[in-house]
Amino acid sequence: MLKKLSLGGYLCALAAVLGLAGAVLTIASGFVSADNPLSNLPVIAAAVFAGAVLSALPIVTSTRFGNFDLIGSASIIAAIALYCYAFGAAVSQRVMLIAGLFSFNSGNAAGWNVFYVSVGAWACLLVGCLMLIVSGFLRSAKENA
Amino acid sequence: MLAKTKRGLWRGLTALLVFVLCISMVLGGVLEANAGTIDTALGTVSSGFVSEQNANNPLYDKFTPPEEFLNADGTGNSRALITAAIELNRREAAEGSVLLKNENGVLPLASGANVTLFGIRSHSNLLGSSFGVKAQGAYISLEQALSQSKTDFANTIAWSVGSRGAPPGPTVGGWSGDEFDFEGAGYNLNQTMIDIYDKLGETYVHYENEPASEQYDPGEPSVDEIAGVNSDYKSSFAQYGDAAIVVIVRPSCEQLDYMPGGVVDGLDFESGEPFSLTKNERDMIELAKECSDKVIVLIQSSASVELGSLKNDPDVDAILWIGAPGCYGFLGVADLLCGRTSPSGGLFDIFTTYNMSAPAMQNFGRMFYTNTEGTITRTGGVLGFKPGAYAIEAEGIYVGYRYYETRYYDCVAGSGNAGSSTGAYASSGNWNYDDEVAYGFGYGMSYTTFDYAIEGEPKFEIGTNANGSPSAFATFSVKVTNTGSASGKTPVQIYGQAPYTPGGVEKPAIQLLNFEKTDVLAPGDSQTVEVKVDLQYIASYDMEHDNGDGTKGTYIMDPGDYYFAVGNGAHDALNAIMAMQGMDASKMAGQGVAAQACKKSVDESFISKTLFSTSKTGYKISNQLPYSDWNYYQPGEVTYLSRADWAGTWPKTYDSMTLTSSELIDALNGKIYELRTGDDTSAIKWGVDSGIKLYEMYGVPYDDPKWDQLLDQITLEEAMYIFTFGGPSIPGAESIGALETYMTENAGNGIAVNLSASKDPDAPWAIPRSDPNGTWHPEVFANAPMGASTFNPELMYELGEFTGIESLFTGINILWGPGLNTHRHAYNGRNGEYYSEDPVLSGVAAMEFAIGALKYGLVAAPKHFAFNDQETERGGVSPWMTEQRAREVELRAYQIAFEATKYDTADYDAGMRGLMTSFSKIGAIECTSSYGLMTEILANEWGFIGYAVTDIYDDVDLWTAVLNSGTTCFDTRGREGFYGNTTLDNCDLFKTQMYSDPLSAHLIDGDANLQLKLKDAVHKNIFAWSESHLMNRYNATTHFGSRMTWWRATYMGLEIGSGVLAVACAALYVMSSMKKKEGK
Repeated sequence: MLKKLSLGGYLCALAAVLGLAGAVLTIASGFVSADNPLSNLPVIAAAVFAGAVLSALPIVTSTRFGNFDLIGSASIIAAIALYCYAFGAAVSQRVMLIAGLFSFNSGNAAGWNVFYVSVGAWACLLVGCLMLIVSGFLRSAKENA
Repeated sequence: MLAKTKRGLWRGLTALLVFVLCISMVLGGVLEANAGTIDTALGTVSSGFVSEQNANNPLYDKFTPPEEFLNADGTGNSRALITAAIELNRREAAEGSVLLKNENGVLPLASGANVTLFGIRSHSNLLGSSFGVKAQGAYISLEQALSQSKTDFANTIAWSVGSRGAPPGPTVGGWSGDEFDFEGAGYNLNQTMIDIYDKLGETYVHYENEPASEQYDPGEPSVDEIAGVNSDYKSSFAQYGDAAIVVIVRPSCEQLDYMPGGVVDGLDFESGEPFSLTKNERDMIELAKECSDKVIVLIQSSASVELGSLKNDPDVDAILWIGAPGCYGFLGVADLLCGRTSPSGGLFDIFTTYNMSAPAMQNFGRMFYTNTEGTITRTGGVLGFKPGAYAIEAEGIYVGYRYYETRYYDCVAGSGNAGSSTGAYASSGNWNYDDEVAYGFGYGMSYTTFDYAIEGEPKFEIGTNANGSPSAFATFSVKVTNTGSASGKTPVQIYGQAPYTPGGVEKPAIQLLNFEKTDVLAPGDSQTVEVKVDLQYIASYDMEHDNGDGTKGTYIMDPGDYYFAVGNGAHDALNAIMAMQGMDASKMAGQGVAAQACKKSVDESFISKTLFSTSKTGYKISNQLPYSDWNYYQPGEVTYLSRADWAGTWPKTYDSMTLTSSELIDALNGKIYELRTGDDTSAIKWGVDSGIKLYEMYGVPYDDPKWDQLLDQITLEEAMYIFTFGGPSIPGAESIGALETYMTENAGNGIAVNLSASKDPDAPWAIPRSDPNGTWHPEVFANAPMGASTFNPELMYELGEFTGIESLFTGINILWGPGLNTHRHAYNGRNGEYYSEDPVLSGVAAMEFAIGALKYGLVAAPKHFAFNDQETERGGVSPWMTEQRAREVELRAYQIAFEATKYDTADYDAGMRGLMTSFSKIGAIECTSSYGLMTEILANEWGFIGYAVTDIYDDVDLWTAVLNSGTTCFDTRGREGFYGNTTLDNCDLFKTQMYSDPLSAHLIDGDANLQLKLKDAVHKNIFAWSESHLMNRYNATTHFGSRMTWWRATYMGLEIGSGVLAVACAALYVMSSMKKKEGK
């Protein structure tokens, strides 16, 4: 199947990998410190995993239904939405932690660990979204394959 | 590779627009969830009260700014406000700066003098603390104050750098408002050195608000580096050699302490400690001597700088302590230097020659129980604090000057092994006061001299009030005569000495009892100043006293001879007492003037030994903090310092304590309150509508039955919201017409909100963003020790008044400040936020500030109640001490402030209406959760009524214990949108609870005790609101309204625009797909 992929397909695959990495880091960020859990972590993690699966879906559908097919397209849009949801749900819970780290509580070592892992997760999700956006303009599979 | 069909274009655009839509929704969610904070930062108003205003429904009629700050049309006059702030900060610094040395009449230095400034901090000034009490906005630099006559605010913006690597930044974005004329010192400054320091500032970067450091480096360039910039710099000395002024700085901050031996290697600190001078600093002083035969050293610190060498250096002519003076305080310093004003400040702390000589330093640092791991299961909380930290405060009551002066007294008296070498650090051999101390507490010089004499007998008024409480005061008439040749004013400090029996209750040889300040006296003039002393502050707390009712411990007045004295500081007053007692003058450090002292023999017929066993509320006093003493849990393991044997009880370093008591371990693990689930709570009324609304409660006394009706009207859930979310945004309660409001902010040196970011933008005097001075930031005043050193109650009151006025312009009705903890020692990095080592000086300063602020409807909430003796491991550190120490040192400051006896009238029980608790514990128990501290002492003994908030996110895992203690709410900064975005059930802060289920709206359904405590907490909170200018905004028509802001419009526009376009692109994509399909 790899041989049949075009750039768009590779980007979708990369977005899926980033999503998986983002999911792992998001889960980890909820466990770095017992005092800084993430509320709704199962839902957030499930969203990212679902997003990762959907990111990879155009690779399959494009080879079966052709490039820019409806299912593949919808999955790209849905994956972006899920990644953004997870990003937003996590960021909104970390705002005050981050504000404290950069002001009155910069000595919070556990908090910095949460921060670094969280930033890693968010970077994965946002870069994953960018990959998906770019892939949206591109064919996922080679036309003559 | 790019898709040649339109389908790819539409799909890609759809993906992009969906992403923009999602991100704008995320952004919108975050912004809305933190709207109050965003508004403060950006100067926007995203929500507010909406009211009709007419004759029947007045608004803004309860608290108003003075007319001098209003334009003719009632709008705010920003220029007048800033002008007044400049003037007040100038007087604060002029009266608070302390002249410590002035040989050969070097000061004052007349205007027109040609002066060279030395030290990089003469060019890169220190104004405030890096966090906590910053000085914010545009300022007047030392150079400007000494040589200019008009502000250059546009180019003089204060920066701040956080501790532990937090990035630096300007405190305001810039200044395009008014500039102001001022009268400076009129000196001509050596531009060559200014230019050199400007260049060196590229390497030695300093900020106006800078932190302490555990590995300190003052960042002073060497003489070689100066020469490296301009090798010919010394040629400028001849022209600018009328005087050389050297600036030495030791900053303060939140979160960090200085540490013993905590200095950067290679800087050759004189004593190896951070408060001694480095080689570069000493070289700078030597360079100053080369420049001029008049060397003046300015000391900027919030603690004792080790000045022994400078004191004894004959070529250093003058030393002036100027603290962290705030944005305009250098004008006051200029006034002193040029002689426009004569110095009149007294030292807020004793200045020792070597700070490690304090007995407290034997037990300071980062200490953890040896068996913390595996024993303490409670975590450090959301702020990431480390469990298991402690400090054994084995110095007992001998904090600051109480130690040095008492040991001095015993040395002269030859008692208690005071003269032994144990604890002697700066002395060669046996302990010697002159070697250990550079400048005493309360000491300060003037450009003139004063004689003090107590006229006649003090007037004693001893009795009891109707509630059985003591009323025991002594009024001293002190004749102060200006015996010099310059005009000036001086503090009138009254000290006392209670009779001490070796082996009995510990007592200091001298303690401040109260103070006033004279008017400006012309040479030869006299003024008789009356100083009223509350005798409860010379009473001692006897922890072993048998109260006869099964309880132990209370205040006692031992029979015997009590001595009182006036003096230029504690040492002078003590010498006066010693002279009156006929002690050997040859052994004394300095001379005593007996006329400054008086004696009163006290027996049971004059003052009962247990007169002060009842508090001013009529409550019987007994031990409430047994768990503050380590020996309570594990007897005999700690020895506290006693003047009965200075050498034998000199504190050991208790750096390896092991937890063995299960009671102690349980307490440290937060096992404090057991939630009940099956109580019959039917008698406790909630949600009973009486038709009363919050706006009706202004001016209703706390004990008025109308409050009961109001409280019964509130639902249990609403009450839980008010207790749980204590600010800055505080929930409303629909049942009483109370609206969610952003009420609270920092700090003790001014309100930390820009004028144009007012939380009350509808006030008639609100200053709009269009005002040229709208970005002025009111947090401009000096660090707390400067205010304390004024020894001027009227000025302290004025500072509170002005902060109250600021609060009307900024719409903040509860202030998290001032700081009111004790300077246990010089190394506490946060000393800049706290007044002094002395509880009377601190307590009076805070009381005056708070009562002044309340005049304009600002509730001042001093922090951190209590025992925040160090920033190191501040989150949950256990300070261990005797209850006597707790009550006579730390708590006395709060007691004075909260009782505010001076302002009581027959009809009104004055007092502070707010406080913030401490991160720290008291012994094994969190301060937030200590029933003894928060209810028995604070509420029952002192009669505190008001808002008692935790520190930020502190002890959120002890929700039930905190409520049970008497604390009235949690600091939940950043939480808002209550009953919607933020609920009791979904707030992440309270998910994890020790010994109870997570917080929910039904958590205390079955606990009658907590429901009653909740009612009490809500009563106190709302009463505090009702006494504040929040009530300006309420009438019968008031409701909540959302308002459009640019940031709200931006994210909403993005949402709508991207959403519409995304749908359109998606539709086009689908149409393209269908066409392609049809084409096939």
